[in-house]
Amino acid sequence: MTGALAAEWLKVRSVRSTYVAVAVAAATVLLGVLFVLYAGSVWDARPPDRQPEFRAARPEQGFLPVVQLSLAVLGVLAITSEYATGMLRTSLTAVPRWRTVLAAKAVVVAGVALVVASAVLVGTFAAGRLAAGDRTMGFNTAPVADELPLLLASIASVVVMALLGLGFGAVCRSAAAAVTAVVGVRFLVPVVATLLPPPWGARLAGVQLQDLPATIAGVETTGGGEPAVGLVLLVGYAAVPLGVAAVLGPRTEA
Amino acid sequence: MCGGPASGSVGGVIEIRGLTKRYGRTVAVDDLSFRARPGAVTGFLGPNGAGKTTTMRAVLGLATPTSGEALVNGQPYRRLRQPMYEVGALLDAGAVDGTRSALMHLRWLARTNRIGRARVEAVLAQVGLTAVAGKRVGGFSLGMKQRLGIAAALLGDPAVMIFDEPVNGLDPDGIRWIRELLRSLAAQGRTVLLSSHLMSEMALTADRLIIIGQGRLIADTSVGELAEQFNRGVLVRSPRPTELTAVLTGAGATVVAEPGGALAVTGLGPAQIGDLAAAHGIAVHEATPRSASLEEAYLALTASSVTYAAGGGGGPR
Repeated sequence: MTGALAAEWLKVRSVRSTYVAVAVAAATVLLGVLFVLYAGSVWDARPPDRQPEFRAARPEQGFLPVVQLSLAVLGVLAITSEYATGMLRTSLTAVPRWRTVLAAKAVVVAGVALVVASAVLVGTFAAGRLAAGDRTMGFNTAPVADELPLLLASIASVVVMALLGLGFGAVCRSAAAAVTAVVGVRFLVPVVATLLPPPWGARLAGVQLQDLPATIAGVETTGGGEPAVGLVLLVGYAAVPLGVAAVLGPRTEA
Repeated sequence: MCGGPASGSVGGVIEIRGLTKRYGRTVAVDDLSFRARPGAVTGFLGPNGAGKTTTMRAVLGLATPTSGEALVNGQPYRRLRQPMYEVGALLDAGAVDGTRSALMHLRWLARTNRIGRARVEAVLAQVGLTAVAGKRVGGFSLGMKQRLGIAAALLGDPAVMIFDEPVNGLDPDGIRWIRELLRSLAAQGRTVLLSSHLMSEMALTADRLIIIGQGRLIADTSVGELAEQFNRGVLVRSPRPTELTAVLTGAGATVVAEPGGALAVTGLGPAQIGDLAAAHGIAVHEATPRSASLEEAYLALTASSVTYAAGGGGGPR
């Protein structure tokens, strides 16, 4: 397993797509700062008596989908690039155990997502607060400690998105199909949920990937679910596709 | 585990026992059995679609046999803990990520089996890719990709080496390089299994020949035996065929008259025929040995397998 892990780490490090994905995720820091500077200019233009009621979204939350999607694509490509080139057969000749290969990929993808998401989201959080200065813009009024649960849950959601991408990639074996599936689960299901008749939209709201960080952190949620349930659901989003992929096998025959 | 066991480049055996592989209703390999032994290049020959690649994938654990087994050093491949020290394989040279450099491709592969960086440099030098090691594989020619694939197969210094159609699409220089490499690997005592659909290539490279058609074994032979099997004697032309026939038949040969007045002689070599004719004062205008080319022998063998399958009514078609 350690050999497979070391190999997967080197694979991820030695292709350009990894650096593109990380660069796109890192752009969130810049986008967050630009957003806060723009919101700050609006704050500055307000009469002083209306400034306290100003509310701007947390920049690291606003741009979280960028981080999630870029690392989900990294997860997708970690396996679909091997299907596309046929290199997976070489991988399985060197390590003739599919679950070991898949597990090694999952550990590496999760590790990269954890490090990148932590750096980018904490960086965006800190840069946003610095850019806000002493303006009271809503997102920067609570003590840092109060913001930690949501920040950690958001980082976890990025790791889950990356593993969801890897799982969908292994199941679909095609990058296009897997990315479409990831986008469908993360961005289209919420849209569809709003179109459903009354009880169902609300029921779906509590289990959607986009709401889970807030549910887990116990902050104002649309679904209002239990944090523990949210955590189980979040883990499920990563575990189910990977589990299906592990059971299906590599399917490199024929 | 430090550096792995020294292979010693000896003792590797590939053994196929009653291997059958079906994909749905298609029978890719049908009750195939053969062995590839150390110190020889075993040519694995058959028309496209005969089941060569499927058999090789079964050996490498990439295809699960429907029945029977494919063993390497007495074990199924999937049971090998550090397979690269025992088996090196080149299945498809194009199956590499073109965005990765040659060096990085070999380094990740080496890491899976705890093979050191020095060995990566050594195999790069062995195949002549050191100068382009840092370049993206996507820019490589087919010949360079073949060399990279061979470097990958050599990483663990394995006693068993498997090559699937390694000369396909190569230029004459590349073909000769691979031929000499395969010969030298066998000369070092390794077991080399080489597939091809080109008999002409096998004639120059292989010691043993495993010929299959429609997934079934047609012949397990050597290049020499195959040539002998399809020896069609000597074509002799003479202005006095009747007398020459009598002389040669008297000496124990079998003589058949061919259209155009020539004689097909079996049982005597051209030198003996010439001597006999001279001793009897019979002029000989031509004495040409007609061993069928190996290509023809191969085509005759595989054609008969097709005929057999169609006539038998129980074939996969």
